[in-house]
Amino acid sequence: MKRTALVPTGEATIGPFFPPRYVDAGANDLTLFEGRKAKGEAIEIRGRVVQEDGAALENLVLEIWQADARGIFRHPADPRSAQADAAFLGWGRAVTDTQGSYIFRTIRPGAPQGRAPHVNFMVMYSGLMRILKTTMFFSRDPDPVLAAVPLPRQELLVAKLEKPGIYRFDIRLRGDNETPFFDD
Amino acid sequence: MKTVIEARDERTQPARLVPGYPQTPLRNPREPLVSRQPTLSELTGPLEVARRVKLLGGDIAGHGEKQAIGQLIHLRVRVLDEDGAPVGGTVVEMWQANAAGRYIHPNDDDHAPPDPNFYGAARLVTDGNGLFELRTVKPGAYPVPTRDGWWRPPHVHYSLFGKVWLSRLVTQMYFPSEPLNAQDRILNAVPDAAARERLVARLIAPTGDPHNALVFEHQIVLRGRTATPEQS
Repeated sequence: MKRTALVPTGEATIGPFFPPRYVDAGANDLTLFEGRKAKGEAIEIRGRVVQEDGAALENLVLEIWQADARGIFRHPADPRSAQADAAFLGWGRAVTDTQGSYIFRTIRPGAPQGRAPHVNFMVMYSGLMRILKTTMFFSRDPDPVLAAVPLPRQELLVAKLEKPGIYRFDIRLRGDNETPFFDD
Repeated sequence: MKTVIEARDERTQPARLVPGYPQTPLRNPREPLVSRQPTLSELTGPLEVARRVKLLGGDIAGHGEKQAIGQLIHLRVRVLDEDGAPVGGTVVEMWQANAAGRYIHPNDDDHAPPDPNFYGAARLVTDGNGLFELRTVKPGAYPVPTRDGWWRPPHVHYSLFGKVWLSRLVTQMYFPSEPLNAQDRILNAVPDAAARERLVARLIAPTGDPHNALVFEHQIVLRGRTATPEQS
């Protein structure tokens, strides 16, 4: 029997007025959840978000979603979810400052089954009619999502180790060396 | 339960480059977007955002001396997936301008007056039927600083999470029979007329209930359906 399918609602830009209250203090720190410390290596992911002319984008909303230190997602679709770190939600939100810079504090994710370690990113901003989705990697280790990206652009999805525990992942929405985004 | 995410009909989603919306050509990728086969990473997502963020009540119109100015409205919004199944327990963030078309936000330097009794934001969780309800005032229209006569019609912003990463949605809801709807560049960026119509709330015929609020109903469909046995 054919299902009656509903059509997903049309997206729209988040606009310039996303309430500051919705960027809760500490929402960019995934290492702490309800007062408990997540297991694994605490790291920082820092970066700057720019548009085509290189201008830094302020007040841009970023969200991340990732597996825990053992590569387990806190979600029932992961067959290993019962073993997920109870002190790790896997989700965070940050907003860019006047320099276009953001910081997440998180745990270096383990490798989920069939994937290299990675962090999923979403970009929401005025002028973006749809959420832009990308994925940050820690290395060029084989990964089906990284492999979907044309070879010369893959390097743009690999974070640079700035100092021990600190990774840089800059995001360029448009222009030379723009960040690869996915069509989903 | 596994969720299946399929490609959307492009005509039901907004164009990324919108004529007369000058930020769009500076911020949207020039390179083609990359297709990928979703993996467990994209087909899972945060289900417990409500444990991480502070919820803000569903009555933002205020009462007594703290009552906001404007037409009182009651919004009744149902959140479903593509199977029509309710999406319960998911966080919804809403925000809107006040009755004069002004946001409480440092970016809004419009000349319309702020309302000291109206912040214009609620953060809720849908109930088991996928429903959330809000008491607020109807937002006003406001001019976009493009200086060429573009005014946003009254609208309400929503941000929703859903069951998986790819069901995340940011959208806007419009009001019926608003003359500015027909010329709004954001609403009209969606090519399909029926899809645009689904972004417009429905006025429920007043029943004589002494609520003093007009009731609008709306439906939001998040991406994803439950996998059939063959797919899971």
